[in-house]
Amino acid sequence: MKDRRLLGYLFVFAATLLVPAVVHDTFLLRVFTEAVMWIGLAVTFDVLAGYTGYLNFGHSAFFGIGAYTTAILMVRAGWHFAPAAVLGGAAAGIGALIAGFPTLRLRGAYFAIATWALARAIQQLVLIMDVTGGPDGMRLPAFLSPRFFYYVMLGLVGITFFAYWFLLERAPFGLKLKAVREDEQGAKALGLNPTKLKMQAFILSAVPTGIIGGVFAYWVTFIDPASTLGDLVSDQALVMVVFGGMGTLVGPVVGAILIFAFKTAFWAYLSDYEVLYIIILGAVIAGSVVFLPNGVLGVLPQRGRRNGPSPEEKGPGAVLPETEGGNSHG
Amino acid sequence: MELLPQALVDGIMLGAIYIIIAIGFSLVYGVMHVIDFAVGEWIMLGGFAGFYLNEWTHVEPMLLLPAVFAVFAVVGYLFQPLIHRVLSGHRGNPLLMGLVFTFGLSLMFRGLAQTFFGFYSHSVPSRFSNGSFFLQEGGFSMTVSSVRLAGLLYALLITGILHYLLKHTDFGLGVRALAQNRDAAGLMGVNNKRTSAYVYGIYVGISAMTGVLIGMILSLSAKMGPDYTIFAFFVVVLAGMGYLAGVPAAAFLLGIIQSFFLIYLDPGYTLLAVFAILYTILLVSPRGLFGKGV
Amino acid sequence: MKKAVWLALIAAVAFAVPLRAAEKRDFFKVGVVTELSGDLATGGNVTKRGYDLWAEAVNKAGGIAIGGRKYKVKLYYSDAQSNPSQGAAAAERLITQEKVDFILGPYSSGVTIAVAPVVEKYKVPMITGSAESPLIWKQKFLYTFGTIPPVNFTGAAAIQTLAGLSPAPKTAVIFGSNDTFSKATAEAFESAAKKAGIKVLKFNIVPAGQDLTPLMSAAKVLNPDLVAFGGHDEELIKLVKSLRQIDFTPKALLMHYGVTEPAFVEALGKDANQTFGGAVWTASEKTKSKILWKDSPTYAAAAMKAFHVPADYTQAGSSAAGIAFQVALEKIKATPPISEAKRAELIKALEGVDVETFYGRVKFATEGDYYHANVGLNPLTIQIQGGKVVVVGPKRDAEAKAQYPMTPWDKR
Repeated sequence: MKDRRLLGYLFVFAATLLVPAVVHDTFLLRVFTEAVMWIGLAVTFDVLAGYTGYLNFGHSAFFGIGAYTTAILMVRAGWHFAPAAVLGGAAAGIGALIAGFPTLRLRGAYFAIATWALARAIQQLVLIMDVTGGPDGMRLPAFLSPRFFYYVMLGLVGITFFAYWFLLERAPFGLKLKAVREDEQGAKALGLNPTKLKMQAFILSAVPTGIIGGVFAYWVTFIDPASTLGDLVSDQALVMVVFGGMGTLVGPVVGAILIFAFKTAFWAYLSDYEVLYIIILGAVIAGSVVFLPNGVLGVLPQRGRRNGPSPEEKGPGAVLPETEGGNSHG
Repeated sequence: MELLPQALVDGIMLGAIYIIIAIGFSLVYGVMHVIDFAVGEWIMLGGFAGFYLNEWTHVEPMLLLPAVFAVFAVVGYLFQPLIHRVLSGHRGNPLLMGLVFTFGLSLMFRGLAQTFFGFYSHSVPSRFSNGSFFLQEGGFSMTVSSVRLAGLLYALLITGILHYLLKHTDFGLGVRALAQNRDAAGLMGVNNKRTSAYVYGIYVGISAMTGVLIGMILSLSAKMGPDYTIFAFFVVVLAGMGYLAGVPAAAFLLGIIQSFFLIYLDPGYTLLAVFAILYTILLVSPRGLFGKGV
Repeated sequence: MKKAVWLALIAAVAFAVPLRAAEKRDFFKVGVVTELSGDLATGGNVTKRGYDLWAEAVNKAGGIAIGGRKYKVKLYYSDAQSNPSQGAAAAERLITQEKVDFILGPYSSGVTIAVAPVVEKYKVPMITGSAESPLIWKQKFLYTFGTIPPVNFTGAAAIQTLAGLSPAPKTAVIFGSNDTFSKATAEAFESAAKKAGIKVLKFNIVPAGQDLTPLMSAAKVLNPDLVAFGGHDEELIKLVKSLRQIDFTPKALLMHYGVTEPAFVEALGKDANQTFGGAVWTASEKTKSKILWKDSPTYAAAAMKAFHVPADYTQAGSSAAGIAFQVALEKIKATPPISEAKRAELIKALEGVDVETFYGRVKFATEGDYYHANVGLNPLTIQIQGGKVVVVGPKRDAEAKAQYPMTPWDKR
């Protein structure tokens, strides 16, 4: 069963490799590149949110750290792009290690808001430092090859997806994470080390996000604190994950494609009604929570699926305070 | 040193704004366990309601506050069942669902506000905005703005009323019971749905009044929401989620930190300091300053 | 499972069917990349009004006259969503999908810097009618021009005017919000003040969007003659209210862009009066032109009629960007669609543009730190007097005497 799914993924991946051969339009290729980027950001967000139940509002911080590390190494130190981007990923990973050690002790809303505060603090730091250009941002050398960036982004996100698939769906790691998500104390009793597992998931989420940030910086040639370290990345990744289906690998992919396609189509053809887009997006998000609690994947036929969400299976929940019968102190 | 009283006063005045942004929000979290991402948008909508009402009637906006409260309390009351639906039913992770749902709402409200109110910034004119008191004693001197003082009094009044409601009325007993144990409260005859709807109505009403006040003291624009949402979150987390009594202390602390950085230290580092201190406090005491958060 | 993926893929491709543009046409396709939504939507919409007004006026006159024929213009908007990367995508879409002949550029400097490499790549000329950061011009983009001089050029002039008042301000507190434009403004104020012999008692760059009352309390103790602030619309309103609330009236209060925005006077009422600002154009400035609008008041009246909002210099600069293209196109006799070779010629023609417009003289620098920015204008110092924007300096442009020192808040 599972191998058939892998075959399906590989088939889709192979098909996407052929896109530049068919699509010669540079703008379309840019759109596809960005779509792949958002798939990557949604999937990495879901590793933490879906598999461990920790909502990381500081996801943009990893993206921004990667982007800025890459930019600084390339512009100030004259590095080549590839090692700079890899180091961007490493910097995001180290960031996750430092931030995760204390924050992963926090629960539910506290974690979400602490990570948000951390992301904002990093944004402020970048705004006042000289090496980052402060509010002026940084301009990278322009290398405007649409194919190059499409393949780099696709390769990066593809590797991430398959690595996640292997780790989360095939290896015991995924099951352990879910055990921690559902009942941390219980998982401890079974001899698991929740702290270590959560930290691994955090880093697993951060590193590819950082590299994606680095590729993004080189691709758009200009980064500033508002666009790379603002809330856009976290907010949009969250929306994509919830819309597609949380706690699965395919859900974020589907959510990212649908939301991004809608957003881009609206933007390209109805630019004069951009405010309307925000209203519709808001309505879609609110509506999907009310009517599709398990995301788009939740309403599709359940054929041949084991680990996906189903009406009987709940999404991540136990880590956060429950609505019914909560045990509060205040 | 001569600026010390001024720094404290400015911080306290700023803190007063944070109190009224956060107190209703904290109450709602305590009772309903929803993190309302749209808090900034309720504030914004209330502010515009006050702005247009003042333009239409020319009545001093301070006196319009009760009307704004009444209208928005009804809106909140009618809104609550929708949020209740999102939070209940056997879906996973209600907290997250509530968060995403209200995030969607906030986008909608902001888009609608930009459509109807335009992009420009406004100010709610009040006769209080003009005056100030100047105090001098020895080497110390300070200026107290009357509109900010009114804001402080208003914040203390709201806090006092909420305290009274919660501790000395049957309604408050029900609310506290609900916050402590929903099932048991239900068994004891507390009507969960209706009490929650009242609480949500009160919260939306308070937030809307806060918007009018912010329009008087600072300014008003369709895109202002997120700036206030983030501070509501921070104050409430610092106070301990759902721990109402912690809100004033947390709000004053944030205000004073900001004021001290602006006056004594490098103003460029103000927000960095706020975020860093918040982060550190959460690490040392994960349930807020007093360790009493839900 | 596969079904889901296919569904998604189909959805992704469905919208992506490119629109093929007809190759032969008798009008110019003008792309506009600007911030129609997001944080900078206020300014983005000001530029949109300027571009719209230009297109409307050109078409009303029958179009751009080239070789005895008139060619109308059609604007193609693409929203940058206040996000540099979205701006780059917008430019690429307009160029490759809509096949626009040239581009009218973004409101903000950040988006402009991200869009510039894209227009460079496709060799499509762009003029921004708004971006004011000096950083853009230091990059020396061949295909990017701007009609508003950089802020270090305009900000300095306002300080010089103030230094000429009597009694001249001797001390100043200067600060700016931490965004590209505001920071550059504050720095321009600071260096000009030092040059003019004004002692800077305090200089700070502060995080954007904060309540600055405590900082103003600190300034009050220093009691400077001049308070100068670089910021955006909402921040300026909050700042004046702060000063009002702590009851501190410096001899002069100087800000920059945003003072001329109608929202500033509307929100503050009589407290807005006597605030100084920098500008490169006002509705009453004495200009003379043969193109579209004969002078500033004519333009201002047309703008008022079309949008029911007074025009500011960003809107005027945006309309002037259109005029610059118009002049250059007429000179090289380019007919739509414009080929790549002709676009290279257009760049040369733009570099040679030196024309009097309703907005003043438009002439782009061709070297140095202001490369391709408009250096034909005189920066003006303005003051709000009786709710109106009035030019108070430099001397030969002044319409009224500066009201100085400021009347205390409670005596108004």
